[in-house]
Amino acid sequence: MSQAVSSNVKGASIEIKHLGKTFGNVKAVNDVSLTINAGEFVALLGPSGSGKSTVLMSIAGFERPSEGQILIGGQDCTRLPPNKRNIGMVFQHYTLFPHLSVGDNVAFPLKMRGVAKAERRRQAEAALEVVRLGGYGDRTPNQLSGGQQQRVALARAIVYNPQVLLMDEPLSALDKNLREEMQIEIKRLHAELGFTVVFVTHDQGEALTMADRIAILKAGRLQQVSQARELYERPSNLFAASFIGEMNMLPVRWDGVNAVFSDQDQIRLPDTASIQPVRPGSAILAIRPERLSIAAPGTEGSWKATVRDVVYAGAGSLLITHLADGSEVRLRVASAGQAPIRPGQEIGIKVPPEAALLYPADASQ
Amino acid sequence: MNPRAIILNAYVYAVLIFILLPILVILPMAFSETTYLTFPPEGMTLRWFEDFFGNSRWMAATWFSVKIAALTAITTAVIGTMATYALVRGAKAMGTLFQAFLIGPIVVPHIALAVALYLFFQNTGLSGTVFGYVAAHSIIAMPFTVFTVAAALSSVDPALEDAAMSCGANRFNAFRLVTLPIILPNVISGALFAFIISFDEPVIAFFLAGIRDKTLPRMMFDDIEQNLTPIIPAIAVMLTLLSIVVLLAAGLLKYVANRNAARVEQS
Ligand SMILES: Nc1ncnc2c1ncn2[C@@H]1O[C@H](COP(=O)(O)OP(=O)(O)OP(=O)(O)O)[C@@H](O)[C@H]1O
Ligand SMILES: [Mg+2]
Repeated sequence: MSQAVSSNVKGASIEIKHLGKTFGNVKAVNDVSLTINAGEFVALLGPSGSGKSTVLMSIAGFERPSEGQILIGGQDCTRLPPNKRNIGMVFQHYTLFPHLSVGDNVAFPLKMRGVAKAERRRQAEAALEVVRLGGYGDRTPNQLSGGQQQRVALARAIVYNPQVLLMDEPLSALDKNLREEMQIEIKRLHAELGFTVVFVTHDQGEALTMADRIAILKAGRLQQVSQARELYERPSNLFAASFIGEMNMLPVRWDGVNAVFSDQDQIRLPDTASIQPVRPGSAILAIRPERLSIAAPGTEGSWKATVRDVVYAGAGSLLITHLADGSEVRLRVASAGQAPIRPGQEIGIKVPPEAALLYPADASQ
Repeated sequence: MNPRAIILNAYVYAVLIFILLPILVILPMAFSETTYLTFPPEGMTLRWFEDFFGNSRWMAATWFSVKIAALTAITTAVIGTMATYALVRGAKAMGTLFQAFLIGPIVVPHIALAVALYLFFQNTGLSGTVFGYVAAHSIIAMPFTVFTVAAALSSVDPALEDAAMSCGANRFNAFRLVTLPIILPNVISGALFAFIISFDEPVIAFFLAGIRDKTLPRMMFDDIEQNLTPIIPAIAVMLTLLSIVVLLAAGLLKYVANRNAARVEQS
């Protein structure tokens, strides 16, 4: 959880209760419940069409939920129009008002709140300074670069000290360097100002580095909500496991103690391997490529594999191998100090049992 | 230039001259010293312009036309902008039907509309009233306003209004403070078109004219029937100048609007 929570309680909590939204016969959001603490930074992550924007727009008030309730700071906002919710919002496209100067853009929310002109100017300039664009107030938006425009949009969203800041893929239009710079900027503002952030992204790296907690959505349903580390190390289902980072997935037979491969190799798994109880039968063994290591072929307890491809990528290398039954296993190993490995070579793969996770094979779970 | 381009150019100029010729012929007649129309004009005088401005009946008709044209411009600007907003941003299914009603008058012959309105207005006592004229002229000017406003509106990102609402503006203020200023040049240029369309509209004026109040085009018809003096070409000269000025103004506004639109796209 963010350190901002303890130092600063400017944020408001957000409670999403059994949220549902139907468009025609598409269930865009299906029974999503999520409590976001005051001052917390939560990322909504999921593939395209998973309902991220619909959840965000429901919090903002632009979508009217078909079911459920949304509370901001304990107050029921489900039917409140967006302009009454006192939230700051940054959109995916650049949404600066083209006919207004940068300063007037940032002052716009203050004008809506009846702040006097001189005071508006002062606060707008202060907000521009916060996003490191002090002195840009007299320019027009089209004189700014894409990154600068999103910073102005950010200044406009925070100028009236909202308790909640909502962002829908605010950085997706920026190139990689600018995006990283803006990620740091947003994190800094969050730490300094202490508002609650809900941040939509389909970039898992962005979610992992920025958010206190990450909520994963798939087809309108919440899959998992947890901190980055737990999400990566103990994804709660197969979807989350495959969606975040790389994951080897092997079909196995599970007898309650051992996972047996189709070619009779087997691995004994600790109790912690299964996040939810897995019934004996067919199951999926999941393991991160960087948790595997290379051993001499035939080493006791190692898997026998044949190298198919070696992809050198600087510090690390990716080994694509296959087991005797043909299933693919990928390894990420350090490039340095590694004896050269060639396609076609036989190797052993060492699998630390505590790195393996077991999921029911039934995809619907 | 290759021969085909030369022939094409020559053809285009020939067509233009053919279209412009009647105007070029009528204009010099406005300065003729004779009391009848003649070409080439004889002598050179501004007498017909003086006659026009000195005659209270002509002046009354002019002011009546200005009043109706101005009210038509305002009416179409307000209703046309609201309607276009609904068309561009609103539900698509109803939109198509609605659009047909709005721009339909462009294909309905004015004479048919005029006869229909004549019958309707006779029974409702609207004939010859300011309201009657403004309503009729608004119908025929509306398509032009809708087209000009729609062109601007469809290039404005709807998310701008969402952004304004997230800043605390209600729906109306989001439109008034964000979308409207961006499309305003087109709204005004649509209104200018409506003004001109109303100002020299002859057919409806012919059918709806009351006994007392007549529009300028209707007065010109009367004058042509009774005594065809060069006052008619004199008025034609002024109407032509007015049209040119308004078209230039509209063109200038369109330029401003395009620049704004380019800005919107960039930002
Ligand atoms: N206004 C709408 N009308 C009809 N269907 C909609 C509407 N908005 C969203 N949907 C549908 O709801 C589902 C969820 O959409 P949503 O925009 O929330 O997804 P998303 O996770 O934000 O996707 P993306 O990453 O592409 O932005 C999609 O199937 C989408 O087609
Ligand atoms: Mg989206």
